Amino acid sequence: MRHLKKSFDNREDLISYVRELAPWAVGKHSYIQGGTDKAERKLAAIDPIAYAHTRNFGDGAISRLSPYIHHGILSLNAVRNYVLTKYSEPAQISKFVQELAWRDFWQRILITHPQWAWEDAEPYKTGFTAQDYADDLPEDIAYGKTGVACIDAFIHELIATGFIHNHARMYLASYTVHYRRIKWQTGAKWFLHHLLDGNVASNNLSWQWVASTLSHKPYIFNLENVDKYFGKLVDTSPLTNHPLDASYEMLQERLFPNIGKPL
Amino acid sequence: MNAPIIWLHEEALRTSHPVFRAAPTEAKAIYVWDDAYFRRVNYSLKRLIFIYETLCALPVDIIFGNTPDILRELAPTTLYIPATNNPLILEIITELKTITSVQIYEDEAFVVPKKSADFIRFFQYWNKAEKTAFLKNGGLDA
Repeated sequence: MRHLKKSFDNREDLISYVRELAPWAVGKHSYIQGGTDKAERKLAAIDPIAYAHTRNFGDGAISRLSPYIHHGILSLNAVRNYVLTKYSEPAQISKFVQELAWRDFWQRILITHPQWAWEDAEPYKTGFTAQDYADDLPEDIAYGKTGVACIDAFIHELIATGFIHNHARMYLASYTVHYRRIKWQTGAKWFLHHLLDGNVASNNLSWQWVASTLSHKPYIFNLENVDKYFGKLVDTSPLTNHPLDASYEMLQERLFPNIGKPL
Repeated sequence: MNAPIIWLHEEALRTSHPVFRAAPTEAKAIYVWDDAYFRRVNYSLKRLIFIYETLCALPVDIIFGNTPDILRELAPTTLYIPATNNPLILEIITELKTITSVQIYEDEAFVVPKKSADFIRFFQYWNKAEKTAFLKNGGLDA
């Protein structure tokens, strides 16, 4: 029986060791490190009040706890209990606790409906059927070469770090499913490959939510929205983000031309 | 048969998980670095490194191999396993149940009711969960 090494002189040695264990695994290491001590440090740094006001912005005060929560290093209960010890007013922590609740919600949904991990929960509400969506992820999406500047920036961050802001995840999911008409399952697999917090329940059911197979309508976004929340961080000029530069009414017509038309 | 074992998987990497309290003191915790599983889930190197870094800080033996084969060889009287909803880990657990007795332990609850999910939209869940979401331990020790 082969017992593996647990003590290393430095992170580089550990990385080399894992690379030898799994020579087939692609990519590089992330700057985000695993471990209980790292999780506790992140937990101590959370600011639920700032989170409530800034969470939708690319540079907002998000907790970045999800990789530690996915791996069970921190339980949702422990995180909630921690914020309760720091903040006495429910209003101060309501948005943050609700975000934890989203994760609990997805976990429960998958326990009750395990088939929804990979099967459509409901039909698409896009005017298309599941057969209209492609099975394979195009290479330009996989490697961030779509030519849409902000989308490519989000993809490069996903590949390099294994973590992107939730809002950026929604943009990428919406771009993949609705702008490019790729099956949500294909996108979900791509995210699970990269995301350090990649969790079948939270990830796959969120993709279903964006796709509209687990929601009343498809989630779409436009360049104005990206500029509002990420304008300081990524290139949001209309020239380099042409497909996204439209009103919601125009996008609705362009992306879902069959909606409202007789079958 | 040998001493019971706590079999950890990638979604429960902490010693304060209820499975540690449930298992007898002689139970050792192990993590099987299962190459076949990792190939199936197709994790990138950065995900594998994150898991390995986490394991290094835990009092667990990391054993390389196929999970059912390793546990067949270790032959524990009972396997103590943290609950999961991950389909591929559930597949492994189903196979482990053919090898020995398995006991599954849920993680700490976030809200009451602990498990039910007779809803499919978040607001339906939140209407039920909100009352206990702002209580320590979800109100369970009240």
